[in-house]
Amino acid sequence: MPSVCFYFQVHQPYRIKKFSFFDIGNDSSYFSEEGENNLNNRFVMEKVARKSYIPTNKILLDLLKKHPEFRFTFSFSGVVLEQMERYSPESLETFRDLVDTGRVEILGETYYHSLAFLYSKEEFRKQVLMHKKKIEELFSFKPRIFRCTELAYSNEIAKEAEKMGFKGILGEGVDSVLGWRSPNFLYKAKGSKVNLFLKNYRLSDDIAFRFSQREWKSYPLTAEKFASWISKINGSGDIVNLFMDYETFGEHQWEETGIFDFLRALPREVLRRRDNSFSMLSECEKKFPVRDEIDFPYTTSWADMERDLSAWIGNDMQRDALSKLYELENDVIATEDSNIIDCWRRFQTSDQVYYMSTKGMGDGTVHGYFSPYNTPYDAFISFINALNDFKLKLKAINKNNYAKRY
Amino acid sequence: MHKLKEAGKKIVLFVGRLTLQKGPDYFIRSAKKVCERTDDVYFIISGSGDMEYSLIREVARLGISDRVFFTGFLRGDALRKVYKISDLFVMPSVSEPFGITPLESLVNGTPVLISNQSGVSEVLSHALKVDFWDIDEMANKIISAIKYDSLGNCLKGCGKEEVKNITWDLAAKKCINLYNSA
Repeated sequence: MPSVCFYFQVHQPYRIKKFSFFDIGNDSSYFSEEGENNLNNRFVMEKVARKSYIPTNKILLDLLKKHPEFRFTFSFSGVVLEQMERYSPESLETFRDLVDTGRVEILGETYYHSLAFLYSKEEFRKQVLMHKKKIEELFSFKPRIFRCTELAYSNEIAKEAEKMGFKGILGEGVDSVLGWRSPNFLYKAKGSKVNLFLKNYRLSDDIAFRFSQREWKSYPLTAEKFASWISKINGSGDIVNLFMDYETFGEHQWEETGIFDFLRALPREVLRRRDNSFSMLSECEKKFPVRDEIDFPYTTSWADMERDLSAWIGNDMQRDALSKLYELENDVIATEDSNIIDCWRRFQTSDQVYYMSTKGMGDGTVHGYFSPYNTPYDAFISFINALNDFKLKLKAINKNNYAKRY
Repeated sequence: MHKLKEAGKKIVLFVGRLTLQKGPDYFIRSAKKVCERTDDVYFIISGSGDMEYSLIREVARLGISDRVFFTGFLRGDALRKVYKISDLFVMPSVSEPFGITPLESLVNGTPVLISNQSGVSEVLSHALKVDFWDIDEMANKIISAIKYDSLGNCLKGCGKEEVKNITWDLAAKKCINLYNSA
């Protein structure tokens, strides 16, 4: 009976170019790398669009046409949508085609894919509202369910989401929190009325991470095999939440791995078996009962073995960078200068501190793969130098404004 | 030196033979760039070799002889003390099959900046790295490591942990295993 709930995260940050200490005060563009490398935002956007977004969108549209029961959910950061508008209108157009079928849901999140929640509730709310506006503008869609950056989740985040009018929220199915309970049911957040959707990380990561690992005992993963695992849940679960980066298709797992063939065959294989179905997340609230209330007293995420925030705020450089960034809030907002505010918020994108992670060994290799910098130290140096340049600019503007006013 | 440290000044260290292969001239040219930007940094060059006099002349010509100290060749306790008092160790080698000094520095709790052209750069991940000829980038990394405490702390903390796992015992075990598996 389980209903498969796919949610795909679509996001690309504005990467900071190599910014030297000697550039402070001399160069005020931070996101404008032009060389053919992974710090060039246009270059990355065009590459990901070609390898992942455009071909995967085409497959999904075909699947929606072929299988009337097929449906799924997206979440887009505001900054990826901006970059699509600028660098890959075809991607945006094909995403719109999918949403227009009425069988694709869009989640709410922060416009800048930030962890503002941890540092400033006010800033967090502003970004969520900005995002809501952007989604309505581009897709004529009103998000009902929320997901916080990096699947960060706690009772407190759920409360905040409820205050902002969301009916549901996403989280990681963390073993230590769930205990004997399974992620394959609909739950309720503790301390608020929002419904809680927990990721089935085993089945999600089978696709997102293990799909092309030859040393994995279940390699190669076929749609048939995966559908049989889904069917095994029959009787002991209502939903299967498969949450992953959309770039899994074609970018993290290259076309040569067979990931596209897998995706093409999956709906047929799932639906061929008795009682299986697909759902958009908000449909589950009508289809399935809430089974329990779950207490998440501290913040969890979808990263690494620890499922905590240590990939973003785990070392001195990351904490230093974020505290120096967020302490500028009042001065930045006071400028009333939309370019300055936008720039400050681009620094907040969680990827910026993720690139500085020094977490070792097993996890470190995953971090390394996703970083456009040679080392976490290089990431920090460019970030902090650019931020210091930004501070100079900010000071000059506020001084100027003050002089004008008095 | 202790007085400089008490006054909040930072020290950047070079240890090695003063010869072309070790890149001391690149070190001095980066030092010049750093000195132009800040008054807070002093440089120590520890070692002797065929380039010693020409380096001293070059430092004078660049106008930074009040910021660069030549200690001559040091060993044992004296060398350990210099490692410990420094805030950053730089190994700008042009060619270096391995390069053991960065490991000595990390054991003594001082973070390192090493050239991509050294063998040790393949072993150490918690180090700043630079191409030896790129003196602008070398200066950028020296000054960043000095100015931003959180960067220095991470390099120091993680680097010290990392060198614990680089030992002759482990290297010997690896070698024996290779023989046994052949």
